[in-house]
Amino acid sequence: MASPGGQGGGGALSTRGGGGARRMKWALELSLGNTRSRDRQGGQGDVVYPIGYSEKPVPDTSIQETDKNLVEKRCWDVALGPLKQIPMNLFIMYMSGNTISIFPIMMVCMMAWRPIQALMSLSATFKLLESSSQQWLQGLVYLIGNLLGSALAIYKCQSMGLLPTHSSDWLAFIEPPQRMEIMGGGMVL
Amino acid sequence: MVIRSGLRTFQKGNETVDYQAIYSGGNGEVYALGVVPHSHIAVVAYSLEDGEIIKQISVEAPWLSNIQASCVVIGQGMLMCVDSPTVSLYMLDLHVQSQMTQIPLQSLGLEIASGFRPILVSTQPNPARQPLSEFFLQLGPEHYLLLQLNNGQIVTLRDFKPAILVAFATSGEKTVAAVMSPKNKTACSLNLFSAETGRRLLDTTLTFNMAPNGGKPEKLYVQAYLKKDDSVGYRVMVQTEDHTLTFIQQPGRVMWIREEALSDVVTMEMVDLPLTGTQAELEGEFGKKADGLMSMVLKRLSSQLILLQAWITHLWKLFYDARKPRSQVKNEVTIENLSRDEFNLQKMMVMVTASGKLFGIDSKTGSILWRHYLDNIPSNAAFKLMVQRTTAHFPHPPQCTLLIKDKDTGLATLHVFNPIFGKTSQVTSPALPQPILQSLMLPLMDQDYAKVLLLVDDQYKVSAFPSTKNVLQQLQEMASSIFFYLVDSSQGRLSGYRLRTDLSTELIWEVVIPTEIQKIVSVKGKRPNEHVHSQGRVMGDRSVLYKYLNPNLLAVVTESTDMHQERSFVGILLIDGVTGRVIHEAVQRRAKGPVHVVHSENWVVYEYWSTKSRRNEFSVIELYEGMELYNSTVFSSLDRPHAPQVLQQSYIFPSSISTMEATLTEKGITSRHLLIGLPSGGILSMPKMFLDPRRPEIVSEQSREENLIPYAPELPIRTEWFINYNQTVSRVRGIYTAPSGLESTCLVVAYGLDIYQTRVYPSKQFDVLKDDYDYMLISSVLLALFFATMISKRLAEVKLLNRAWR
Repeated sequence: MASPGGQGGGGALSTRGGGGARRMKWALELSLGNTRSRDRQGGQGDVVYPIGYSEKPVPDTSIQETDKNLVEKRCWDVALGPLKQIPMNLFIMYMSGNTISIFPIMMVCMMAWRPIQALMSLSATFKLLESSSQQWLQGLVYLIGNLLGSALAIYKCQSMGLLPTHSSDWLAFIEPPQRMEIMGGGMVL
Repeated sequence: MVIRSGLRTFQKGNETVDYQAIYSGGNGEVYALGVVPHSHIAVVAYSLEDGEIIKQISVEAPWLSNIQASCVVIGQGMLMCVDSPTVSLYMLDLHVQSQMTQIPLQSLGLEIASGFRPILVSTQPNPARQPLSEFFLQLGPEHYLLLQLNNGQIVTLRDFKPAILVAFATSGEKTVAAVMSPKNKTACSLNLFSAETGRRLLDTTLTFNMAPNGGKPEKLYVQAYLKKDDSVGYRVMVQTEDHTLTFIQQPGRVMWIREEALSDVVTMEMVDLPLTGTQAELEGEFGKKADGLMSMVLKRLSSQLILLQAWITHLWKLFYDARKPRSQVKNEVTIENLSRDEFNLQKMMVMVTASGKLFGIDSKTGSILWRHYLDNIPSNAAFKLMVQRTTAHFPHPPQCTLLIKDKDTGLATLHVFNPIFGKTSQVTSPALPQPILQSLMLPLMDQDYAKVLLLVDDQYKVSAFPSTKNVLQQLQEMASSIFFYLVDSSQGRLSGYRLRTDLSTELIWEVVIPTEIQKIVSVKGKRPNEHVHSQGRVMGDRSVLYKYLNPNLLAVVTESTDMHQERSFVGILLIDGVTGRVIHEAVQRRAKGPVHVVHSENWVVYEYWSTKSRRNEFSVIELYEGMELYNSTVFSSLDRPHAPQVLQQSYIFPSSISTMEATLTEKGITSRHLLIGLPSGGILSMPKMFLDPRRPEIVSEQSREENLIPYAPELPIRTEWFINYNQTVSRVRGIYTAPSGLESTCLVVAYGLDIYQTRVYPSKQFDVLKDDYDYMLISSVLLALFFATMISKRLAEVKLLNRAWR
């Protein structure tokens, strides 16, 4: 925080050049003691501007009146976002191939995680879409896009052979059957 | 010219002369002695220079049946025979060859002990010179006489009573006779006597201590030498009934002992070692009944404390031992400090030998820890060894049972003992008055955790051991599901019986294989402790071909009686032991035994000699259920309507084999290897992958997926498959495999003339860290990173705080 005396105006600073006096950061003198004349002086000679006040014109950051169309357009962008990702994901899938190595796995994980994350933060997205008039339709489109994205990830897993769809995947869980009869014997000793 | 000794029969008229002995006195003549039992002796004299027959005579001897058993040659070519029915000695001068002179023993004042067959012992120290005129005559089991033939007269030099064994020994010009006589119950003393006079030589006493569980001395071999002062010193090798050779030096110091009974191992088992005291206590604690929450917690805490103490001492000992130089760390294995090691790799091998001696051998060092001689073994005996209780049930001691059956009378005895210490168990074995046909061990346990042994006698009644009330009650409940099978190969009959509640049996099925055409050679079931891990094989298209795992399946091998090479065959029959259904039948034409079979999981591998192509061949049969399981929870032989699919393939093997066995692990995850003992002394560990009936002739994508090796008729023998590298194991008669505590390791013992024990890793050691695993590096890196994380976290916090305050 800059010390208030650094600003314009007569200001009240405890800066005493020399004289061996201690410089105290937080002390504030509102009276005109050892004033130095600055460029900006208020109209009257000894007006002290309060702390933080400056005469510079401040840019206008008030909220402007939004265009209705712009809002709609923006909401539709948000809604169609996942659907636009799908062609790119398709291409990445095609390039990474069906073998199991680090790159395809990374791609698949990313492709699977994004829709899931989006689905989990669905309520936040809905809040974003509040201002538009077709928010339900847009929400639905968003949901469908994400579901399609995760379906794509699952299809990729299936073509890589990672999903337990065949009986050989459940082979390890089959317990050996219990014997009902006890048998023994041999050749006559 | 070579004169063959031993049995040689001549056809002369209508008598056959059995030539049994050869004598040469070194004066240019060799005599061949033959006998026509109970008729006469035929003596043929050959000349040494040209082999011409000098003379050939026969002498009347109606009392003689066997020259080798009753006659010796002594002195200057005098044949001396002893006959117990006529109680006399017979003498024949081989040079003169006139008549046998009969000398009644009564004239010498001697008499034979009742029921005893007298034996003559003579010695010929130099084969090129005449034998000694002194000889021993054994008149009773502990009565020997030293006699001398002096000018045609027999003179008694000395009477030895009691004497167990005698032997002659020569060193230089002196011949001595060693006589072993009993001193007390456990020791015998040997003394030397001069052979010419029968006088005892001074300072020649030697004591032989008989082992408490060993047999009586059977033969004596003496090695005599002349000492510097011209007296006779000697060392003696004693052969005892239990096939042990003991080499003793004066005055009784044992130089070495060889247990030659180990070259004749009949059967063996490997038994886990007992747990250490602390481990056993832990097991015991958690097995006892709960007596309150607080006490259980305290018990647990105390056991944890004990464990912690034991662990710290173990660590300290390790550290201490590691700092000491290797040579000083002695790891002597005695029976007292035996305990199970971490991975259960060291086990106790219990071996039963044909002489009736039991050995307990430590598998890590090969040292014999205990031995026990069973001294009433009949000569024609069959042995069956079973482990009734393992060391897993502290505090009950482990128990092994040996069933000894006399094949001639059919009667059997049970010997129950503790396999860790070798001592006979306190449990009384049941009396078995009837001849026993077979035995089977059930997985049922009595309240002491001993498995129940059922013995089937020839009336087809069953007796149980142990036969407590608990066991009998369990048997009555489960009687309807206990089946057993008996195979009589002399009649060619396989029969199956079921137990009734009153411990009698009823015949359920019978399969008769006519003995005129084929003879049943062997019947193999599956090992009871075998565990199959996966229930099927994964195909290339990710479907599953389920295995036909029938625990009651028997593989019966038959050989044809017609041994002609064009007509001989080998038959394989797969029979279900409970129902008697023939699951599969196969005949291998133009094949001959001996057939070696291994039956395990869902396959049967057998090896035979193909007479058509004159080579050894392997054949493998695998049984599959199909693409779906009939019943995945329960297997009952009585409920199997569908026959399995059978796949079979054969291969050529470049060598003949002595024996074959499959590796075994606890959970069955490791791949199986077949251990093949070759007559060249090597033991081959062949992967079962090579013996796979699904091996394709034309390679397709799917078979590549399944890792099937393309079919080639020859089975390779790769030298890296030999598990005994460059050492030879002679005459392997059997291979025994046992699982260990590690899934990747299988313990193998090959026995025959030699005994060889090793560990095999069929899938390499997948569950063990490598030797050069860098514990120090990894742990130091971990610790360093951990501390670095903590430190940098702290530093980051401080920096953030500082920036916030600037």
